[in-house]
Amino acid sequence: MEGNMIIDLKKVNFYYGQVRALTNISMKFRKNKVTALIGPSGCGKSTLLRLLNRMNDLIDGTRVEGEILYEDQNIYGPDVDPVEIRRKIGMVFQKPNPFPKTIYNNISYGPKLTGVRVDDMNALVEQSLRQAVLWDEVKDILNQSAMNLSGGQQQRLCIARALAMKPDILLMDEPTSALDPISTAKIEELIEELKKDYTIIIVTHNMQQAARISDETAFFYLGNLIEYNKTEKIFTKPDVKQTEDYITGRFG
Amino acid sequence: MDEKKHTSSHYEKELQEIKDGLIYLGALTEKAIQDAMKSLSNRDSELAKKVIGADDEIDRLDSDIEERCIKILALRQPTAIDLRFITTAIKITGHLERIGDMAVNISEKAMQLNEAPQLKPYIDLPRMTDLVGQMIKDSLDSFIRADLKLAEKVRRMEQEIDDLNEQIFRELLTFMMEDSKSIHRALLIMQISKNMERIADHAKGVADMVTYMVTGECVRHRTCAIED
Repeated sequence: MEGNMIIDLKKVNFYYGQVRALTNISMKFRKNKVTALIGPSGCGKSTLLRLLNRMNDLIDGTRVEGEILYEDQNIYGPDVDPVEIRRKIGMVFQKPNPFPKTIYNNISYGPKLTGVRVDDMNALVEQSLRQAVLWDEVKDILNQSAMNLSGGQQQRLCIARALAMKPDILLMDEPTSALDPISTAKIEELIEELKKDYTIIIVTHNMQQAARISDETAFFYLGNLIEYNKTEKIFTKPDVKQTEDYITGRFG
Repeated sequence: MDEKKHTSSHYEKELQEIKDGLIYLGALTEKAIQDAMKSLSNRDSELAKKVIGADDEIDRLDSDIEERCIKILALRQPTAIDLRFITTAIKITGHLERIGDMAVNISEKAMQLNEAPQLKPYIDLPRMTDLVGQMIKDSLDSFIRADLKLAEKVRRMEQEIDDLNEQIFRELLTFMMEDSKSIHRALLIMQISKNMERIADHAKGVADMVTYMVTGECVRHRTCAIED
């Protein structure tokens, strides 16, 4: 797979205490592409996603081996500030989790907190909401609580909130699993749009979603990377039998 | 194919039903062309009528298989080998249905020929029929067993049929040049031969799809890709 690489994993092992959750993972993520991570529960895909912005640091007793290079710098290096990494590599979770604040403050909160100089906060809020294709729906209710929005709107707000931090990469952990089909379609449409400016890595249990929106797909099983290939290839003629068995439902 | 079973036994059953339907349809079309040829060589127009009548069942089965495939596409959203299997099945059923139509064409021509004195002993046409029957059988076996070599064999046989068709054409040309009263019958026989040749094309089409199903590669417009 050709193209500019933005993240490069080199022989990464990851442990929860004594338990090895990821085994010897080497893979590269391409810039401005959507990469889907698929596999059965417990295969390590979400663990891998959280490794990419050091979210696993927050769990006691975890340990990383190997290197994860983001723009040629090991994000687990001693001089690296995880907060800075999380600013550049944003994350959207399974359940929409807006702050119990106004829509406006949900967006402005992060930039204010991390001391990002924002000359015109109004412009940043509008831009972020526009990018998340939510602006038209909320522009007249910016001072209302974000909790009043629908689930789909809340999730787009969370995406807008992540975008307000001007990240390079967006990590998404099953971002539509709690949403109805229309909201899901809107998020998927949004992902297609966002990849022009961002690199997106998404964990999904919905195989059709991976097929619809991603350029590349990585299949994990029991902490191993089984196959990493162009999405079209994975879903028509994967190279590895194990991948084929999984995506056609011949597993377990 | 040596495949693990789907977690969903219903899905497994639906795929098996398509496979079974294609085997049955294949058997019907094979019989149709054998009978069509027999109706000519035995000058048995009643048999020709039966072939024409039996085509409705072939058409019905074709529609039934196609509907089942579309239903699976819509409801199961198959991927990888299942997707390749379904797309292959849709194409194969189309090829078999067309073979049924060719058998009808041959029967219609046979009925006309049976009305007139026999122009010449039929030697190459029954040979062609046997070969074409074998091609259909082998192409379907290659589908059921996901057997690339057998599919390749079918592709090679097509050339033999082309050669036979040309030979028949040349022979009939001499008949027509010698006796203008033979032209009508000679043309009918030529059309039968041409129909056989087209049946061979369809059998090759089935074999091409089998290669696609197994390898994911489209060989439809390529000559012999795999060596023994």
